[in-house]
Amino acid sequence: MSTTPVPAIDDLRTRVRAVLAARLGDAFEAVPSDADLQQALGERYDSLTAMECISAVEEEFGIEVDFVADDVRHWFSTVDLMASFTHDRLEDSAALMEGR
Amino acid sequence: MTAVTTAPRSPEGLGAVTGEPDLWCTYAAVRTLAWLDRTDDLAEPDLTAAYLAGRRNADGGYAWSRGMLSDAWATFYCTQALRDMGRPVTGLEATAGWLRRTWSGDAYAMLPGQGPDVWATHFSVRTAVELCGTPLHDGGRLVRWLAALQGPDGGLGWTPEDARRGNADVRACYYGVMAWRAAVRAGAAATPPWNVPALVAWLRDRQGAEGGFRFSPAAEVPCMWATYRAVGALEALGHAPRDAEACRAWTMRLRGPSGAFVRWEGYDVEDVWASFCAVGTLRALGAPLAPVADAVAARIAAFGCPQGGFTYREPRAAADALSTSAAVLKAVPGQADPGLVRWLEGCQLPNEGGVMYMPGRGSEVRCTLWALAAGAFTGDASARARIVRWLASLQNPDGGFGYWEGRGSDMVSTAAALEIVTLLGATVGEVVDAGAATAFLDSCRRPDENGLAHGNVPGATATLRAGLQAHRALRLLGRDTSGATASLLARHRVRGGGFANEGNRVPDLLSSYEAVLAADRAGLPVDTGHTAAFLARVGTPEGGTAWSPLAPGSGGPLADCLGTLLARRLDEPKAALPALALS
Repeated sequence: MSTTPVPAIDDLRTRVRAVLAARLGDAFEAVPSDADLQQALGERYDSLTAMECISAVEEEFGIEVDFVADDVRHWFSTVDLMASFTHDRLEDSAALMEGR
Repeated sequence: MTAVTTAPRSPEGLGAVTGEPDLWCTYAAVRTLAWLDRTDDLAEPDLTAAYLAGRRNADGGYAWSRGMLSDAWATFYCTQALRDMGRPVTGLEATAGWLRRTWSGDAYAMLPGQGPDVWATHFSVRTAVELCGTPLHDGGRLVRWLAALQGPDGGLGWTPEDARRGNADVRACYYGVMAWRAAVRAGAAATPPWNVPALVAWLRDRQGAEGGFRFSPAAEVPCMWATYRAVGALEALGHAPRDAEACRAWTMRLRGPSGAFVRWEGYDVEDVWASFCAVGTLRALGAPLAPVADAVAARIAAFGCPQGGFTYREPRAAADALSTSAAVLKAVPGQADPGLVRWLEGCQLPNEGGVMYMPGRGSEVRCTLWALAAGAFTGDASARARIVRWLASLQNPDGGFGYWEGRGSDMVSTAAALEIVTLLGATVGEVVDAGAATAFLDSCRRPDENGLAHGNVPGATATLRAGLQAHRALRLLGRDTSGATASLLARHRVRGGGFANEGNRVPDLLSSYEAVLAADRAGLPVDTGHTAAFLARVGTPEGGTAWSPLAPGSGGPLADCLGTLLARRLDEPKAALPALALS
């Protein structure tokens, strides 16, 4: 049974940025991918907005975040970390599929 | 009139201070400066405007703080204050849309689905007409509802049902009259819908020989708040106090060392509301403002917070009842500074027998519960009896309780009120109408196959916390709800740890605290490992507690208190959680 290859981290980063740009608006465009979003955007990236962004990332990549087991404060603090988290989660899914 | 039972001074002792701005205070500060034509004096105008605009929710309404539900009060305060600052108020079409959701068919409620009251109706008519510029939903029905606020003695009550019980208050008069005046601007009939001579006479009768006004015949002392509302209502009706000069002189006498105002004779803090009410009174009387403008503007400037917005006095001294209660409750049992409890007890001030978030601004049910849970008034039978009397007077005609006098009923306040009665050792059925309270709780049930779900108000979405609060309250009223509690907990249990208020994915501190409290009350087992996993996730390196796994760091003294109490409960199964709730 073949599985869909996991996208490269650069591709994931690009898609994460597109997902966030749709929710965070123009102010997000200038934020570097390694910048802490809460520090860069202040109240615009509060816990409510973070929740919306996490849901959007879940939907975009078909993954599920566990709000207790996963350290969401850490993994969703920058674009790079989101891309890395997504990459790991997609790799786990792919490995599970291969093992079936 | 009853005797004053407490010294009308600001609390002594050791109050806990957060230094945070408050929306109520920010509105009062900006409005007062606007009346004095001194908004240019605002020290941090951009930050204050951002503080106000940041309360806006996606639904178009505004909330007391980020993350809370929109309500009519916050929506008026934020939009009006932004307008007073000369700032753009964006998205007014969406705000008008949110207001439509609070229209009951006769008047406006504070939240969608709640019963209407005159506080909310005043704020929302003014927001709709004066800020949004939208037509009234049904001006005829609104005016008929306002007309029904008049009681047999001529004064206006909080709701038509309340008026029929003879509960008039100068604040209700002011809000009713100002709502009518705004409705006239939107095309309603220009004739006041009341027996005006009777209303004017009732208002004038609230003036005492010293010149100030009381809230009602039962109020203990004349105060600046009652005086502003009475004089403002009279002015809007084209009348003046019976002795306008005595009122002006009384107002001008109530000034502290800085030249700004205090709340009543003998009070020793010149807070933001006292100056707001005093300047409002002088305006309504047509008295000159120039003699007080410099002192008031300078005093208000001292209340500005570095992050924008204002609190009620100097930020370093602006203690509040919730943070102070939290400091006591978080301390190792028996080791809290007694000065903290003494400060809480000093918050019981004239006219209303409970405790308010910030002293001298009425009384509020949840804050009173936190203060009692922290041990305030333990040995003071007189103070406890005063709380019981105040609480009994607060029950609304629909059987529920609101945050404070005249506010529409909600689940959090109703559950808190019943907990207060229990904490005071009184019999629930002797203090409240138990049948009516049960009827209100049942009115908050939402369509659900198992009959488990409740909203915070009758028309609200069902949530875990509202359901568990209903179950706790019904248990205090004698109904066995343990089966329903167990089912509801199972529905909102988050797999990895903790409980979610909606669904079962994102746990939060308030819901997880309420879940353990409800389980204990119902005699259900608590999975300590499951709750400990949640606490580990929301714990911060500094030893604090975040409101949720998404929140950036400690949620402040209230979150830290709840986290500590929850951890203590896991370590010591006999450490019963106090029934603390915020929302």
